[in-house]
Amino acid sequence: MTWISKAITLFGAVLLGHACYSAQEHSALQSFKAATATLTSSSLAVASLPVDIAIETVIAIIVILFGLVLGTRPLRPIQWRVWAGKIEREGEEGFMDNDGEVNKDFVGNPFKFLETRPGFVDIRKQRKEFASWVKTSSAQ
Amino acid sequence: MAPSLLHPPSQLSPAAALELSQQAPALLQSSPSTVSSSPLGAIFSASESPELWIKYENLLLSCLRTGDDLAAQQCLERLAARFGEDNERIMAFRGLVKEADAQHPGKLEAVLKDYEEILKENDTNIPITKRRVALLRSMGRVSEAVSALVQLLDFSPTDAEGWSELADLYLSQGMYPQAIYALEEVVILAPNAWNIHARLGEMQYMAATASGAGGSSYQKHMAESLKRFSRSIELCDDYLRGYYGLKLVTARLLKESGKPAKQNDEGGLRLPDTSTIERLNELATAKLSEIVRHSTAGDRGWRGYDEVEVAAARELLSEDASAASRIER
Repeated sequence: MTWISKAITLFGAVLLGHACYSAQEHSALQSFKAATATLTSSSLAVASLPVDIAIETVIAIIVILFGLVLGTRPLRPIQWRVWAGKIEREGEEGFMDNDGEVNKDFVGNPFKFLETRPGFVDIRKQRKEFASWVKTSSAQ
Repeated sequence: MAPSLLHPPSQLSPAAALELSQQAPALLQSSPSTVSSSPLGAIFSASESPELWIKYENLLLSCLRTGDDLAAQQCLERLAARFGEDNERIMAFRGLVKEADAQHPGKLEAVLKDYEEILKENDTNIPITKRRVALLRSMGRVSEAVSALVQLLDFSPTDAEGWSELADLYLSQGMYPQAIYALEEVVILAPNAWNIHARLGEMQYMAATASGAGGSSYQKHMAESLKRFSRSIELCDDYLRGYYGLKLVTARLLKESGKPAKQNDEGGLRLPDTSTIERLNELATAKLSEIVRHSTAGDRGWRGYDEVEVAAARELLSEDASAASRIER
């Protein structure tokens, strides 16, 4: 998905560059024409940009925008139950960006601390449990 | 799913805790040993991030659990060097390390006395108050723990964690009405917490089963439990725990629906009629089997569930299926 969006954005950038180049060339030609016209003392031509360059610029910008929008991350759910369901159902996987990294602000269920209660942790019990786990797993 | 040091480690399995604490030497080595807290020093020394301190805290807890006291001490020293010894959180961590070190009851008494000394100077030190409650509970002095916790909630009534602990303390003593009251306070403070709604549903169910089918409060507890589980599902799509509870409650209600129970309106909450309960039961069964199917197959987007919970749901479903086939025969 990302390479499509990148290709489209690049294509749009090329179009835009081309439009800029055309406009610059056009104005250079016009000023050259004007210079020769004054030498031959004929009427001064009014230099306005041809319509195809203007159209190309607009299309290039639309294509670039399309490519950039295509490459953004999927939007986060804005409904509470959908968002909560996503946390429960997908876990960390649902909150990865395009590079496969879990978002820094992902904390799982934000109300989990009300059940784990880190402020009231019974460290002696946890230590005992861990020691017995080590014993049983080394015995196996 | 690898455990992350950015999340509190209290709910992790022993294996995950071990994995975390084994990261300790690498983390302690890779990050600077002192970070200056003065603004002038911050310009010259390495930059600090909030994540670093969260990591230190979680590493401290994991190391204490796995018995790596040396690394825990190092984490604590770094935290203390940054935030100062008189920081309330640091004081609580220091107490925690002492608790973990204490070998015999005498030492624990000394730690408890330390807490009381600190509280004498400043009796609104919430982290230390919480440690004192936890220590009292750990030493088996539950009634003292309850009164200390009630005192804490007296001056800090918006502490959801405290209310939740109080509910758990009461539940461990079998005092269901008090436990339910305390957990309802948590729901008031965090009305969107779907896990607390499910927990309240579980507690109501426990209270109902404890009081026995004939009790007057039975109907009320069952209706409340049904309501709470429904609410937790409303707040969270595909919530395994909520659907599990809903199925449990509706199945029990349907089994008893043969004998007409007298409905008393005094409780204010009536059970819905049988057809509604049946529909809820069907919904819970369908959802649970969907979750179990996808989760067992390891489908993309369904891997967030706890394996133990999925296994429990599978067991419930198979029990239900065997009961249904027995009835058909």
